[in-house]
Amino acid sequence: MNIGTRKILDRSFTAVGIGSIIVMAVALMIVVVPIITNGIGAVFFTGTVEHRKMLFSEFKRGDSEKLSSEVASSDRYRAKVYGMLTDFEAELETMAPEKKVEYKAKYAEVRAALQALFGPLPGDPEPMLTRFKYGQTRWEKAEEKLHDLLYETKWDNSNPDVMAKEYFVSRAIGFQGTSLVKLFPYVKDNMEKLLLPEFTFYWGFITDSSVDSHFFGGIWPEIQGTFFLAVGAMLFAFPLGVVAAVYFTEYARPGFLNSMLRSANSTLAGVPSIVFGMFGLAFFINTLKVSESKSVIAGALTLAIMILPTIIRAAEEAILAVPKTYREASLSLGSSKWNTIATVILPAALPGIITGGIISLGRAAGETAPIIFTAAVSVGSAIGLADVLTSPTPALSWNIYNLASEHEAAAQIRHVQYGMVLALVSIVLMLNLSAIVLRARISKKLKG
Amino acid sequence: MAGESGGECNRTNAFVVSARKRTMQKVAKKAGESMLFAVASFVAVIVLFIFYFVARDAFPFFQIRGFTEFFTSSNWYPADDPGEFGALAIIYGSLMVTLGSALIAVPMGVAAAICLSDILPFSIRQYAKPVIEMLAAIPSVAFGFFALVVLAPLLQNNGGPMLMWAWWILVSPFVLLAVIVLSDLLTAKIIEPKRRQQMHIFLLILFSFLSIFLLFKVGTVLYGIQILTGTNALNVSIILSFMALPTIVSVSEDALQAVGRDIREGSYALGATRAETILKTVLPAGSSGILAAVILGIMRALGETMVVWMASGNSSQIPEPWFNYLQSIRTLTATIAGDMGEADQVTGSARFHVLFAMGLLLLIISFVSNLISERIVVRQRKILSGQ
Repeated sequence: MNIGTRKILDRSFTAVGIGSIIVMAVALMIVVVPIITNGIGAVFFTGTVEHRKMLFSEFKRGDSEKLSSEVASSDRYRAKVYGMLTDFEAELETMAPEKKVEYKAKYAEVRAALQALFGPLPGDPEPMLTRFKYGQTRWEKAEEKLHDLLYETKWDNSNPDVMAKEYFVSRAIGFQGTSLVKLFPYVKDNMEKLLLPEFTFYWGFITDSSVDSHFFGGIWPEIQGTFFLAVGAMLFAFPLGVVAAVYFTEYARPGFLNSMLRSANSTLAGVPSIVFGMFGLAFFINTLKVSESKSVIAGALTLAIMILPTIIRAAEEAILAVPKTYREASLSLGSSKWNTIATVILPAALPGIITGGIISLGRAAGETAPIIFTAAVSVGSAIGLADVLTSPTPALSWNIYNLASEHEAAAQIRHVQYGMVLALVSIVLMLNLSAIVLRARISKKLKG
Repeated sequence: MAGESGGECNRTNAFVVSARKRTMQKVAKKAGESMLFAVASFVAVIVLFIFYFVARDAFPFFQIRGFTEFFTSSNWYPADDPGEFGALAIIYGSLMVTLGSALIAVPMGVAAAICLSDILPFSIRQYAKPVIEMLAAIPSVAFGFFALVVLAPLLQNNGGPMLMWAWWILVSPFVLLAVIVLSDLLTAKIIEPKRRQQMHIFLLILFSFLSIFLLFKVGTVLYGIQILTGTNALNVSIILSFMALPTIVSVSEDALQAVGRDIREGSYALGATRAETILKTVLPAGSSGILAAVILGIMRALGETMVVWMASGNSSQIPEPWFNYLQSIRTLTATIAGDMGEADQVTGSARFHVLFAMGLLLLIISFVSNLISERIVVRQRKILSGQ
């Protein structure tokens, strides 16, 4: 090859390497940015009067006088809508039978769309589920529902070779010639007066418990559950891991037994997380019977054995990084080996050990698979500290899965899911960032 | 602890130590040490327990149903009466997404590791490492959520154009390089400089046209592809590769760092460029370490649960044709996670135990590959330190 080609190859080799690092950074961005932007929407959003109604009656929060004046003003506009409905119902009775049947089905759709927008209409029975007691609490959702009111969704199946295409037909055309035709432009033009949108900072998203399986309210039970599980796992794993690391670094002699123990450690680190969950179910719950069925303690124990290898490795590295001179100085002053470890080496290694602990804490908080069978439930209120031995808990990681994949109305509560993901990701990334900062400070300190 | 009180005695009367006290101290020291040993061997005990308890619940399945059905049939109807427990399609699905993620993650991961260890200056490396750590720290359920809510609809609605752009962006630089290298290699034998140059330019133009034609042809074919479901093997493979990348990068970077400077400098002294040095000397010397990194990364993809459970479509079928990454699949981990909730009610049935059989399979695969990668690392360290 001539030298020019070799140079080009060399340059492009560099470009491939840098390119793949850039791709990784971009991947991180692509994953994190939608989570952050949409997740913030769970706390900061444009709320309607329905949201304030919900807050007042479910959480007793808000200014009752201001709320009642708002409700009165929006009701004034809504009364006109409801008046049109009663007018049309009267008109319906006068129609010819076959026309009546046709319009009745269409009218039922309009009523359903209006219920979704404004909550129960006058004359409706009191709904059983809280989610039907209020109209749309968020402005952007209200706009979607307005579109549902104005247009009918249809599917174009005419060409069998391509996928069916979605298209919209105006409902107003369907009601041409009846009194109801006025309703559509009226609702469209007076949306703001009907729902009174207002910028809302809903801090309760973090501290409230959920209402009607996350249709309204916040995620406090999940945050608390995650906290209990992760901290519980640390309580078991951290002391064990540090002691084991002391043994490996200070006392273990090279040999068959030691290499076996090390192999066991790396095997444990490589076990798939779902297998930890099965083990937790088979051992802690079915065999040891630490609790009747799922419980926080069983989940914490399962997570503890999962993060144990990480803690041991981090603690070992931290202990090995302590300069030899510390040890020698302590020993030369006549203190015993144990004394040296407890009073000189461990304090010096402590920041490094804590760094490993923080990273493991983040891992325990984020893991889902081990707690599916051992600790997590999909619905439930926040549990007290006394219940950790007996009762399961909702947890952020599990509920993200549950709301996104198994909830009956997953598409309607995307904002809650994004909010939960943002909460989990920010907890984990905060922990990791603090670990990174801590480690940078340690390495500076050790360098002197 | 016992050892510590011995130490304090030692300090108070430093020189006068009676024989009885000395034996006490020895006993205390031994007791302390064995307690430490007990804690350290706790990990080994846990590993044994995991094997025992998963195997204990897995064996009844093989007793009831035997091995043949599990490994050779792809009829997975555990809820029927009598149920069918053919896991072939599920095992195949696991292997498929693992292979797919490896195809993406291994070249990228190794390239990034090379870049970090040999190419980038230290100041940039300091910022690149935390990015990789962050990628490793994001919980799997967040990746799964992203795959399900963001990536799957994107693939489903704009699958064809996305595939085409990916093809253009990823492949065209390499094709360009291949054109340059190929035309250079083919004309290398011609001695007369003027004819060589003419031939070189002619070949460059010829190959460029050919390659543009090829790129364009494949691009239009890809553009026409309609992805029927966004929750498919491709989606999962992409996300799993992101999750495997940090492991591959950090472990193989360690392996490359372990290759000494002397080897690199020897190669430079012989006139090799940096790329040639890395490809022909550093990579072969660090190859076993990189292999270990690849194994560890692949294991992460194979053992991952949440992403595949949420975004793989969970349909127990071998895609048609077998390499079709655009169809839904189902994996071992997702089956365990998804079916345990229902099977738990009927403890003792084949339906419950088959899940443990799958868990045992995963456990054995991860154990064996861990042993292999550990062996490889140890051997490499020996070889490199021996030279």
